[in-house]
Amino acid sequence: MRAHDPQRELLPIASGRDTARLLVRRFRRRPAVAALAITAFLLTGAAGIVAPRALGAIVDRVQAGGDSGDLTVPVLAIVVAAAVGAVAAAAAVAALAQATIPVLADLREDVLDRSLHLDSGQLEKAGTGDVMARVGDDVRTVTDSLDEAVPLLLTSLTAIVFTAGGLFALDWRLGLAGALAVPGYVTALRWYLPRSGPVYRAERVAQGERAEALMSTLEHAPTIRAFAREAPALGEIDRTSVNARELALRTFWVLMRYGARMNRAEAIGVVIVLTAGFVLVREDVVTVGAATAAALYFHRLFNPIGGVLFVFDDVQSAGASLTRLAGVALLPEHDDRAEALGAPARLELRGVGHEWEPGTPVLHGVDLVVEPGERVAVVGASGAGKSTVAAIAAGLASPTSGRTFLSGRAVDELGSATVRRHVAVVSQEVHVFTGSLRENLSLAAPQADDEALLAALEVVGARRWVTSLPEGLDTRVGSFGHALTSAQAQQLALARVVLLDPPYVVLDEATAEAGSSGARDLEVAASQIVRGRTALVVAHRLTQAQSADRVVVMDHGRIVEQGTHDELVATGGRYATLWHAWSGT
Amino acid sequence: MRTSRQILFGPLTRNAGLIACGTPLIVLWQLCEALVPVMIGVTIDVGVETGDLGPFLLSCLAIAVIFTFLSYGYRFGATFMNRAVQLESHRIRLEVAGQAVLPADDPKLAGEWLSLATADADKVSLLVRQFGFTVASVVTVGATAVYLARTDVTLALVILFGVPITVGITQLVSPVVARRTEREQAAIARVAGLGGDLVAGLRPIKGIGAEDAASGRYRASSRAARASSIVTARSWGYMTGLTTVVSGLFLAVVAWLAGSKAMEGDLTLGELVAIVGLTQFLAEPIALLGALTAQFAASTASARRLHTALASPVLILDGPDRLPAGVPRELRLRRATTSSLTEVDLTCGPGQLVAVVCDRPASADSLIGLLDGSVRPDGGAVTIAGVDLRSLAAADRRATLLVVPHEASPPEGTIRTAIDPDGTLDPATLDEVLTASAGHDVVAAHPDGLDHAVRSGGSSLSGGQRQRLTLARSLAVAPPVLVLRDPTTAIDAVTEQQIATGLQSRLGRDTATLVVTTSPTLLAAADHVVWIREGRVVRVAPHHVLQEDPRYREEVLR
Ligand SMILES: Nc1ncnc2c1ncn2[C@@H]1O[C@H](COP(=O)(O)OP(=O)(O)OP(=O)(O)O)[C@@H](O)[C@H]1O
Ligand SMILES: [Mg+2]
Repeated sequence: MRAHDPQRELLPIASGRDTARLLVRRFRRRPAVAALAITAFLLTGAAGIVAPRALGAIVDRVQAGGDSGDLTVPVLAIVVAAAVGAVAAAAAVAALAQATIPVLADLREDVLDRSLHLDSGQLEKAGTGDVMARVGDDVRTVTDSLDEAVPLLLTSLTAIVFTAGGLFALDWRLGLAGALAVPGYVTALRWYLPRSGPVYRAERVAQGERAEALMSTLEHAPTIRAFAREAPALGEIDRTSVNARELALRTFWVLMRYGARMNRAEAIGVVIVLTAGFVLVREDVVTVGAATAAALYFHRLFNPIGGVLFVFDDVQSAGASLTRLAGVALLPEHDDRAEALGAPARLELRGVGHEWEPGTPVLHGVDLVVEPGERVAVVGASGAGKSTVAAIAAGLASPTSGRTFLSGRAVDELGSATVRRHVAVVSQEVHVFTGSLRENLSLAAPQADDEALLAALEVVGARRWVTSLPEGLDTRVGSFGHALTSAQAQQLALARVVLLDPPYVVLDEATAEAGSSGARDLEVAASQIVRGRTALVVAHRLTQAQSADRVVVMDHGRIVEQGTHDELVATGGRYATLWHAWSGT
Repeated sequence: MRTSRQILFGPLTRNAGLIACGTPLIVLWQLCEALVPVMIGVTIDVGVETGDLGPFLLSCLAIAVIFTFLSYGYRFGATFMNRAVQLESHRIRLEVAGQAVLPADDPKLAGEWLSLATADADKVSLLVRQFGFTVASVVTVGATAVYLARTDVTLALVILFGVPITVGITQLVSPVVARRTEREQAAIARVAGLGGDLVAGLRPIKGIGAEDAASGRYRASSRAARASSIVTARSWGYMTGLTTVVSGLFLAVVAWLAGSKAMEGDLTLGELVAIVGLTQFLAEPIALLGALTAQFAASTASARRLHTALASPVLILDGPDRLPAGVPRELRLRRATTSSLTEVDLTCGPGQLVAVVCDRPASADSLIGLLDGSVRPDGGAVTIAGVDLRSLAAADRRATLLVVPHEASPPEGTIRTAIDPDGTLDPATLDEVLTASAGHDVVAAHPDGLDHAVRSGGSSLSGGQRQRLTLARSLAVAPPVLVLRDPTTAIDAVTEQQIATGLQSRLGRDTATLVVTTSPTLLAAADHVVWIREGRVVRVAPHHVLQEDPRYREEVLR
């Protein structure tokens, strides 16, 4: 039950051809295990054929009137085949896992990696659920399909080769009769393929929506609880899950009808082979024994042929998932090399305009320069476009018009790694990552040792409370674990900037999320951070503006005033109004 | 509380109807499969060998009939079972989701819940299908033994006892499979949990260019899960190997027995062929039974994980007491004491706007916790209309008290649904609520106005717009008691002033509003301010009076 169902722009889905190419490339990386798995499955298939032959031999020997000593060889053959088959099967399953699981784990890692490197707007538009369904449901589907399809295909093919060979060896006419069943199977397949693809793809999309409904409920559970919206949230999960379920039932039904068509082909095949036997025996061309054997051979082909045809189901099902994995994994890899920007850290926005949604401009011709080492505060009404300016200045969003320059170099010509190495942003959104405090900090500097981490905490005034925790840096924080206050969470964010040590910093309401008393500590921390750096500080707390070198006032996407705090207060314009409201004077 | 056994077998009992329809059909299918080779033999005997067209055609017809039964039996039997599987997995999914939205003592990451609600739910429900196939396999083995008993009792007994022993031996490894599967599922859930957490923290990650570090962390966790998956797969390999060798040996024993008997003349050639054919056919149900028990082990593992999650303690905010009719809904703390509050007294009556200033965030957290039920007082009590919150009925609590978390954000939908999800507000009230929360600006900022699409968590809005929509939503609910925590931290001073005026303008109504804040603008709008220092109430007075105290000024001034 939702009034409005927004058109989600899902992350890309690759074409079948690109997906296949990606898979070939990935599987080629482990030729040895892949070869071992294939050989072992073929061996399993071969071992499976020994028993029927040995049993046939026993019948022959009994018919020939042998004694029980004649049984030794065929019985031993069954035992040996069982032993060989067992070892081969165990090895094959293990080798297959060794060959496929790493490839899928790599895919899942690549999907998350590319997703994290996507523009945050694009990811938010697609929804967390889209990513989570791909790294979860889709990987699981592919793993299950491969576990099933590969053994089925290989052992079935072995069995088909040997059994069909046996059928032709009996008599070519009986063999041909068996071959007349092929068109029936082909018809079944041609019926199935065009029908199953679309339903499987729809099922995967529905699973993505289901994951999205689950994730958005789970992520916002406290809000949902507070407003007693559990019922509608669960209703949405119910709706999406029912939708996915109905599609799953539909894919299964299509599969069952495919199976029925295969049964039909089998029945027709058996009757054809028997009829051929009937006719040929009547004409005295073949013996009754040969006709019997032919019918039994053909019967023994049911399972392997069925196996091969069912592999197409796995291909369809896994394919629908693989194209979704490949779609994201194949996104261009980001460049990792950060180059040094030699020149002094001067930030410049020239004629910047921006539209988050096409047709709705939120910035108009913004010109702004922050000189090296200067601290510029951006203030203005909520929704005026301050965070948008911050995002563009930091290179997190590309403006729809105008350009941004860092140290005189256009940002759109610098690699994102270079930009990120030089500009750190502390955003309005506070997030404590689940894990230890150390993990939270070392995101900014994976190499940093404890001394460096503690030194960074010292700068933002957090060392004392961290070291007073019984487990210090190992304290677990985030969703579960030690609850941090908003001020402490923001201190961590600021400490990450210290660890990164960039020449430019952009603080977007980095001090807002704590009440005044907490915010004052944060303000001290923030001024420590901006010291010696080129800084753009977005703040509603005007103490931040007061201590800045220059204040820029924004309104409706435009810069409307600029100057020092004192100048602007004296002018009596918008800033003065804001200041009086703020300071209560 | 349900045991993990109940979770495991629940799908069977709940879907008895579907299973009762599906299982016989699956059995029919398996028996027909066993009949096909028998019927081929008959056709050879009565048709091919004799050359009589009539009996030949008749037996071909019989084959067609068997195939029809076999085909429809499977098609509908499996469909019934699959329906039960899908219904169950959906049901478990909703149950998990229902648990996940409850306030838990030991919360899990969203991604971990996701994994429980999808991967584990699917694994447990598969038991239904396993059940159908197990019954079919057992019946087929039994039927085969009965059929053979007519020919040779010894062999029938060998089969009757041999099959369970064979399957029993394969059970030796199934505890290993179960243990490893459980570990694998846990590792996969951890990967999902981490992935969800990282994606949720995308903006902060991007801010410091930590995409690679974050991705590296995910990679490490994924590698651990991958190692676990490979180990689990290996144990499935042992299982397959063991099944292969044991059923092979069983076949060898039967072949040897039957062969010797035939050579001694105890069996005719035809009987030998039949026995050999059937024994070979038995390899299928035996292998199936072996695999099914391993899958059963995997289902058990998932049921255990689900059990742990569903049985984890939650805060149940419910009690026997109803609110008395006609008594004003006054919120009151009486000597409320927690780890960071000491004997706090506070009163907020209908139509009042009371502000609370805390010098320490921990005190504010504690106060909010007392009100939303996540913190239990060590001493004293919190009451509404004289009824202790701890014993207040859940329905009354919900209808009376709204505690808005500071991090609350609008849900996916539109601006309108963010404020009025059920579409029950009349335009005048909506307008009023928008005015009081300074929300008209938010509507005006977007060309679609009230119908502007909002992404989940309000990520397509500015920080202040998100806060204003949440405030508008809270005012729209118009609960008798409304508690707000720092509702204007992302809002500029001028807009904040509008909100303060807005809150004041609603004072004539019945709502008792409690605001925990240090914003002078909001404090000035309050009827009076409860000033808490080091966990104790220092003084209760209007803001302008308290301002005379330099320590108060120090705390709230900007
Ligand atoms: N990611 C986004 N996608 C779409 N629209 C956005 C996005 N971020 C902001 N907007 C819109 O752009 C406009 C400017 O938002 P911005 O976040 O820059 O405001 P702000 O000045 O930072 O406000 P606040 O003080 O409330 O944080 C708003 O109307 C907002 O709805
Ligand atoms: Mg902002």
